Amino acid sequence: MSAEASSHAASGASAHPAPYRSSKLPDVKLLMWVFLASDTMFFGSLIGTYLAYRERSLVGPFPQDLFDIPLTTVSTFVLLMSSFLMVLSLHALRQNDIGKFRLWTAGVAFFGAIFLGFQVFEFTHFAHAGLSIHQNLFGTTFFILTGTHGVHVTVGVIWLVSLLVTSYIRPMKAKDAVYLEIAGLYWHFVDIVWIVIFTVVYLVEFV
Amino acid sequence: MSEGKHTSVSTYVIVALILGVITYVEFALVEYPQAWLGSGWTIFLLVALSIVKFVMVVMFFMHLKDDDRTYSGFFSSGMFIALATFVGLTAMFILPKAVASTRPDNRAAQEASHAVPHELLDNVETRGASRAPAEIADTPAVADRSVSVEAPTAPNDASTYSVTPPAGATAQGGAATAEEPAATEAPAAEATGAQSAAGEAAEAEEPAAQEATAEEAEEAPAQAEAPTAEEPAAAAVSWDKDHGAAVFNANCMACHQMTGQGIPGAFPPLASHAVEVYAVAGGRDYLADAVIFGLQGAINVNGMTYNGVMPAWGHLADADLADALNHVLTAWDDEPAGFQPYTAADIAARRPDGLSAGDVHAKREALGLH
Repeated sequence: MSAEASSHAASGASAHPAPYRSSKLPDVKLLMWVFLASDTMFFGSLIGTYLAYRERSLVGPFPQDLFDIPLTTVSTFVLLMSSFLMVLSLHALRQNDIGKFRLWTAGVAFFGAIFLGFQVFEFTHFAHAGLSIHQNLFGTTFFILTGTHGVHVTVGVIWLVSLLVTSYIRPMKAKDAVYLEIAGLYWHFVDIVWIVIFTVVYLVEFV
Repeated sequence: MSEGKHTSVSTYVIVALILGVITYVEFALVEYPQAWLGSGWTIFLLVALSIVKFVMVVMFFMHLKDDDRTYSGFFSSGMFIALATFVGLTAMFILPKAVASTRPDNRAAQEASHAVPHELLDNVETRGASRAPAEIADTPAVADRSVSVEAPTAPNDASTYSVTPPAGATAQGGAATAEEPAATEAPAAEATGAQSAAGEAAEAEEPAAQEATAEEAEEAPAQAEAPTAEEPAAAAVSWDKDHGAAVFNANCMACHQMTGQGIPGAFPPLASHAVEVYAVAGGRDYLADAVIFGLQGAINVNGMTYNGVMPAWGHLADADLADALNHVLTAWDDEPAGFQPYTAADIAARRPDGLSAGDVHAKREALGLH
């Protein structure tokens, strides 16, 4: 995705819109929204599956034995704040403020990495407590759902780092902002998926 | 595109602050439960708060509020399909479970469970605390659970468990000995006595815990095998038909169906097949193994191949498994020739083998079944 984005950016200066275009919207951004719509359905089914099999595990460990709400609240907060840095980064690039753009983008990637660190810690802890993807329905649906989300976060971190590296190789200007914007859209999407997971998977378990 | 009407940094800061505060409120609602709110309203509030967060991120961080409506159109159609999928899944999986608790047979089970003192139920269900009330009601009542374990006098030392030898086989014929007045009280008590027969002075107040069965069973067989396996009981062993049906309905029916017909291609039939297996030499033990340890691998029943997994049910009590097996063998077919109902002691005697689901499959092949 990032390679495609940067190659587009490279030819962006000479590319003129084709005369028969029916929309003035940038293709990459439209494509990203279409992708996000499809990803919504993907996560919708995964979360639905998790809920359908909730409380149907015959053997432990059960969610209430494992979930650590304070820890997950911190990692949720970290991910939310990374979204905040993401909009600051886009704002800086639109102002042609490359220094701040680099700072905030690095911040987003760093916060994303912290979130992943929490997830690795959590998965390891669960595995030690005897939860595997084969153990029970909770293990299967939980690991599939949060694992898929973790993969999305990982892709986002790689994407942002590659944009950051690109900015050192080839100057990025305000007109390239759309390539950062779509990365941002993806990042915010990963964030809102986690907002839902945090509530319906973690919090509801303790009410 | 949307250049010129960009959200200002101060808006971003305010949105981020609100998101942070909402996250803290959510955390506080769960960590410090508010009694006056009740769990229903708490869940409602949590869902509402997360929707607020969701919408704020989409509107302000993803700029859908000011951006071209084509984007919103694509995204909301995706959201719509996702929600429809979600509602469909809910209708298929979650609602039937809720409805199940209103069915007559489940109501009966629920009423039966009301006969059990609440402090007992609390103890039994501690480890399964996350299970839904409907499901708990489906589970056989504690009174049927046949095992009473006396608390160890020292922690984690198997030798301190007081295990009494099964007396079901020896005490048969109705003449209950003075130490076991319970054996005469109910039909189920025979199986009960076989497992626990708390004849000795019960020093402990700890009530029975279902999970403790396995631990006890590890030690029991030494004493258990002698009376039952060698000499078949003179009188026909009676067993609790209702309890067998209840255990089957709660645990086996979902796949094998109430009629024991299974689902062709997915779950093998038990009706007419189980008695066939029982008739094979070694089939009686194999059936118990399949239930205790599960079964994994391709099998062939009535010309149809099934390649699924039968989960292990070893976490159920011996008496439960015994009665469920008896139910399977008698509910839809004539009793197999020389049918000897399973007793809790039979099940306990199989447990030490500690087979894997694959081992059970190998055993099945060894019996000449495929």
